[in-house]
Amino acid sequence: MTLKSTLARITAKSSYWLLHDVLHRGGTSLPGKLAVSIDPNILTKIQQDFELIIVTGTNGKTLTTALITRVLQAGGYTVITNPSGSNMIQGITGTLVTAKVKPSPNGQKPVAVLEVDEANVEKIAAAIKPKMFVLTNIFRDQLDRYGEIYTTYDKIIAGIKHAPEAIVLANGDSPIFTRGDFTNERKYFGFNHIQPADYNPTVAPINTDGILSPTDHSVLNYDFITYANLGKYFSTTDSFVRPKLNYQVTSITDLTPKYSTFSIDNTPLRIEIGGLYNIYNALTAFAVGREFNVDPEKIKTAFESNAQIFGRQEALHVDGKDVIIVLIKNPVGTNSVIDMMVTEKDDFSLLALLNANYADGIDTSWIWDAEFEKLHDTNIKAVATGGERYKDLRVRLKMAGFPDQAVYEDLTQIVTAIKSLPTDKVYIAATYTAMLQLREQLGAAGYIKGGF
Amino acid sequence: MANFEISVAHLYGNLMNTYGDYGNIIALTYYAKQIGVAVNYHLVSLGDDFDADSFDFALFGGGQDYEETIVAKDLKNKADQVRHYIENDGPLLAVCGGFQLLGHYMVMADGTRVDGIGVMDHYTINMHEPKLTTLNNKRLTGNIVIKNNDTDETYHGFENHQGRTFLGKNERALGTVISGNGNNGMDQTEGVIYRNVYGSYFHGPIFTRNGNLAKRVLATALSRKYPEVDWTEKLDQIETETF
Repeated sequence: MTLKSTLARITAKSSYWLLHDVLHRGGTSLPGKLAVSIDPNILTKIQQDFELIIVTGTNGKTLTTALITRVLQAGGYTVITNPSGSNMIQGITGTLVTAKVKPSPNGQKPVAVLEVDEANVEKIAAAIKPKMFVLTNIFRDQLDRYGEIYTTYDKIIAGIKHAPEAIVLANGDSPIFTRGDFTNERKYFGFNHIQPADYNPTVAPINTDGILSPTDHSVLNYDFITYANLGKYFSTTDSFVRPKLNYQVTSITDLTPKYSTFSIDNTPLRIEIGGLYNIYNALTAFAVGREFNVDPEKIKTAFESNAQIFGRQEALHVDGKDVIIVLIKNPVGTNSVIDMMVTEKDDFSLLALLNANYADGIDTSWIWDAEFEKLHDTNIKAVATGGERYKDLRVRLKMAGFPDQAVYEDLTQIVTAIKSLPTDKVYIAATYTAMLQLREQLGAAGYIKGGF
Repeated sequence: MANFEISVAHLYGNLMNTYGDYGNIIALTYYAKQIGVAVNYHLVSLGDDFDADSFDFALFGGGQDYEETIVAKDLKNKADQVRHYIENDGPLLAVCGGFQLLGHYMVMADGTRVDGIGVMDHYTINMHEPKLTTLNNKRLTGNIVIKNNDTDETYHGFENHQGRTFLGKNERALGTVISGNGNNGMDQTEGVIYRNVYGSYFHGPIFTRNGNLAKRVLATALSRKYPEVDWTEKLDQIETETF
């Protein structure tokens, strides 16, 4: 280490200490900013301390990163990871330069598992050569901010090209990941839970993207679809098929809103969160664990002994009502939430909240690509709408066949809204800033401890 | 059971449906159902025939650049039928990329020129074109309000496009921009009306937020197929969603 980089590190660590231990404020951006201002090459200089895994993609980054962390820890690695939300260059720099890296109990090099925003992959990979890129999925997400899916993938590829030795471990069920002109070794994970006799050749629903074959640009067919454009695809015009999977879901036993049971490579597993999409997150963590030689039984234990990491889908009680809060932000995510509601055995009500601030995406058109019509396949008994763009959502659900809705223009009425719904179970689906406002109200009313 | 029905063609609906454009069909169906009209949906995509005389309404939505280039090639094979449909007063809503491809050509952000089928007289240049007098190199993104000069109706929506479209002869704007940018940010036009074709950059989608326009187009489609019924009168009796 040079004097400059040592100084950069000390400064970052002391500012982190000041922020966290003295001022009790979160965040790793400021320490990162300070370190870079003293030594712009600080990241490159600390890279020999650990192996780097970059986790990126549209949906599932946070939970996947948390799961990989637990899996590798169960395998005896010391793991450094970034807090949810600190997934851009400054926050990541802060995480890395302030980390206390102890040797791994298993004698291997410590591992940094980082959730990285798609547009920041290149900056990180240019500074530190990753050992592995983990690609979850790429879906259309807030077009006014992120642009098109192939543009997003190009940004990730720009990062991959900085590290030709790194393994690219990608979701093989997503056709986009068969594209890209990089030379890295590629490994794939995906679903193979359906027997060939039960294949039901089909095409993706019209409201999905990324359905063209990379070979001749024909529309792909599927033996089965798990959700959106994910599944076992093939071309009807040439020999293009889904690549061979290195890690696969071999069976699904039970899907409920609260947990799922399934097998990966014939190891039976259980996760304490509903939703097929969360099985993809578990599959990703399993694949990374196996790549780092973690025993399947240890991975199983890591999933089952860390129920609290699934806490993003929040459950709470409001005067005897069971309230489950879920984030919605794009069509695929919303459809996944609706699919999960299909597995709900109890009668329930839905309170849907739409805002269109910058963090939500300022274009509300996406609600028309989410299939709210499918709510008719659930035990839904009542629908209420609210949020700053309640008018959009009210009409969306009205046209989906839910004409009778209580409408809440103002989230200060949220507790009243919950209590007025007729069922004991209430799902609240909210966009990002609506969720923050909701939590603030529930905190102020004493239903969430410590505010938010 | 509905006594009446219309057939709807969703042109390249699996490839050009990036901004909730399918919502236009949801809205059309919503109003049709209330006046006893069934809507039969047909996806017409790559390699499919577009038999103009079998359809009462067509939607041609917007897509991503890659899909738009693939669609542009295939669309050439359907150009004669699309022209026949339009010149025969078939009602059509074209949004964003669909709007662009009915014109002569469009230029993508990276300078790639994609030929349209020229069944309408507009053309689209990109945001880097030096002849632009305003908002050079910027996408036109944000809320937009326009006024339809034929009907005095006001339409609300959201625009997000880099291409700048200029209307040609026999084309008039769908509306004059009240706030936002419209076709090119320069001439205060937004969208196009030509015969029974409505083109627009509006997402939202336009029929969901502007029920008056949805009903007008639905009445046009129905009157063309069932001229003996006063569809406007029927539609006037049901509630219009506008926001």
